Amino acid sequence: MTSPLFLSQNASVNSEKLDSLSLEALYALADKMGLDLPTGLERLFVMEEILDALAEDSEDRRSSSDEALLVEEKKYSGSESDSLDLRIDDSPQLERRYNETMIRALVRDPSWAFAYWDLSDAEKSSMLGDESAPPLFLRIIEVDREGGELKHGHFDIPVSLEDLQWYINLPRSGIRFRIDLCSRRGVAAGSRIRILARSNLVDSPRQELRPGTEGIDRAGLRLLQLSGIGDMRIHTQILDNPIRITPPGMELQPGDSD
Amino acid sequence: MAKGQLALVLNAHLPFVRHPEHPRFLEERWLFEALSETYLPLLRLFRRLEADAVPFRLTMTVSPTLASMLGDKLLGERYAAYLETQLRLASAEEERLGSDPVFGPVVRLYSALYREDREDFETLYGRDVLGGLDFFYKKGRIDLITTGATHAFLPLYADSPEAVSAQIEAAMVAHRRAFGKHPAGFWLPQLGWHPMLADALRAYNVQYTVVTTRGALLGSPTPHRGSFAPVQCPSGLTVFVRDAAATKAVWSESEGYPADPVYRDFYRDIGFDLPLEYLAPYLEEDRARIFTGLKYWAITGSTADKQPYDPAAALVRVREHAANFLAERSAAAERAAPHMDRAPLMVCPYDAELFGHGWFEGIHWLESLFRQAEEFPLGIVSLSEYLRAYPESQVSMPEFSSWGDGGYAEVWLDGSNDWTYRHTFKAVERMTELAERFPDESGLRERILNQAGREVVLSMCSDWSLLMRAGKASSFARRQVEDSISNFGKLYDMLCSNTVGTEWLTRLEKRNNIFPDLNYRIFRKKR
Repeated sequence: MTSPLFLSQNASVNSEKLDSLSLEALYALADKMGLDLPTGLERLFVMEEILDALAEDSEDRRSSSDEALLVEEKKYSGSESDSLDLRIDDSPQLERRYNETMIRALVRDPSWAFAYWDLSDAEKSSMLGDESAPPLFLRIIEVDREGGELKHGHFDIPVSLEDLQWYINLPRSGIRFRIDLCSRRGVAAGSRIRILARSNLVDSPRQELRPGTEGIDRAGLRLLQLSGIGDMRIHTQILDNPIRITPPGMELQPGDSD
Repeated sequence: MAKGQLALVLNAHLPFVRHPEHPRFLEERWLFEALSETYLPLLRLFRRLEADAVPFRLTMTVSPTLASMLGDKLLGERYAAYLETQLRLASAEEERLGSDPVFGPVVRLYSALYREDREDFETLYGRDVLGGLDFFYKKGRIDLITTGATHAFLPLYADSPEAVSAQIEAAMVAHRRAFGKHPAGFWLPQLGWHPMLADALRAYNVQYTVVTTRGALLGSPTPHRGSFAPVQCPSGLTVFVRDAAATKAVWSESEGYPADPVYRDFYRDIGFDLPLEYLAPYLEEDRARIFTGLKYWAITGSTADKQPYDPAAALVRVREHAANFLAERSAAAERAAPHMDRAPLMVCPYDAELFGHGWFEGIHWLESLFRQAEEFPLGIVSLSEYLRAYPESQVSMPEFSSWGDGGYAEVWLDGSNDWTYRHTFKAVERMTELAERFPDESGLRERILNQAGREVVLSMCSDWSLLMRAGKASSFARRQVEDSISNFGKLYDMLCSNTVGTEWLTRLEKRNNIFPDLNYRIFRKKR
């Protein structure tokens, strides 16, 4: 239902808006939109870059397969629509952190988890003051239903002192895991690992039918078909994540595809 | 074998937007547009069906945030003023186009719409739209249910039972305040389900909810009736399953009924077509171009060369689409019935605002559907009615799921909105700490604690995350979260330092006046 006319209408609205801004404000806006523009550009070129980026954004959204999002968006039509938000208020009103050493894990989908963490000022300054400060890393540890660690069920992701969050590519769906924020002194077998913070336990959701489905009778299978199971990206067996970026030394066996 | 059963579920929800500190506020128009194009027209539809003795059943969520806004005096006044502006605009347009054989009838359609809205809002309901809904609730025509207090995306808070309970309990209290009854059902915001909700919802005596087809089919064990019957969690909560085909027929922006070329184009609005000087008296103070609600063109297709909207042709099509929907569902029920031990059920949950606001002809589609239903081998039921007929279902636990892109939490947890969780989780944690530290407060300290609780639940609203991801009104959305968190921070500091800014607190209570009955103890640790 893309309406090119709508986009061009908004382009002209946005042109009107941009025209009212100083060159400095245009640069600030471009910066807010994540555009990396060289300094010294003519005003017209800065405007063009902004309008191009906006049009691209807009088209991406409309061609998205996210039906729910598109429908929901119409509720908010009285607002900015596709036009530019000229408020340059990107500086966060909130402090980014709470001066504590912690880590929390959230699961996004079968392939990705998100972790955010922090180190207290005291912890951080002791590390900053130490030239041989041990590197930080996240250890993603697969656990059983009771929370016990699985043998060989972990992998590490190095992070820096400046990092405060990370999206983690999971090896497969349907696992329970936790994330430890760690530092390591020394290398290889002789290394000493210190756990700075331990996350909550999380379960990555499944994308495969439960074992035992083969026990469903013909009537049940027919009803699953009639429910549209064929169109739902549901697998019949657990797969390793095909797009996973495998850390060195943690290569996994490739899974079967459906 | 009993005939197929069809259950329509509408989720009426808007996030809490109320800014008395400004004389007018752009985002308050979300409510005004939905009132004009969806909520009041829906009530008119119910009255017409009732008058003609057409049997109709509907399950409908009125979210606590929406209920609060619909019951708010200030927003009521502002809506009345909005209607007057719309009527003046429609009148100016009638003067400009009234004699035009093509656009004249379309303009008059809007004049009639806003006149009816004003008549209903002011005279019939005395500005009490909730009362209008309650009338049909008490008559048993619609089954009103609730949803998360501020529509938080609950699966992401699965690890925080205090956060989840606060969202459920504040919603229950708000529902009882608005309608005087305990809701039987709970709409999952964004259809976001996590297995921990099975116990959490039952703890509040919720009987049923609805999940996506995919979430149910991935459940443990696999439901052997597919989406044609609900499942029951071990806790006793009944979980209805969305019908995938019925969803696509109405929901899809590309293939669904609302995309038909003959229907009115949502995006082409005179607010972007006509000269600013002409529109200025009807716009907000900053005179920025906005959607006015007056749209004269048909969808036509992917072309800039739009055809004028023909309301008569659209009405013919809407009847065809309603008949087609009923025929398709009847056929699906007929295919499923031989494999079932009970009547196949098809649950069709949609956003209420799709009807009328997003899809202009949607209210007529619903009307046509109810009026034609008797011609098809289908029974139309509410979810409560179905549950009374079939209290037992297969025991199965659905999988983590939502109706968002990808089927999980991708929409509400991505680079645009992930920063919010650090703050909302911290706020919940600190609120729990406060509730434990001050379990029996009264007077001023209790007021501070209650307001702190309100700010925490407001910060969890999933609509803000969605808007940040969509890039629409994203600064506004971000500011809502920041304001709630920052307000909470100030209240927390007041309690910790034992200093109270009474004037500021009173101002905040007046501005964020949602959940007047909220009891901060809902955040106490769940043991």
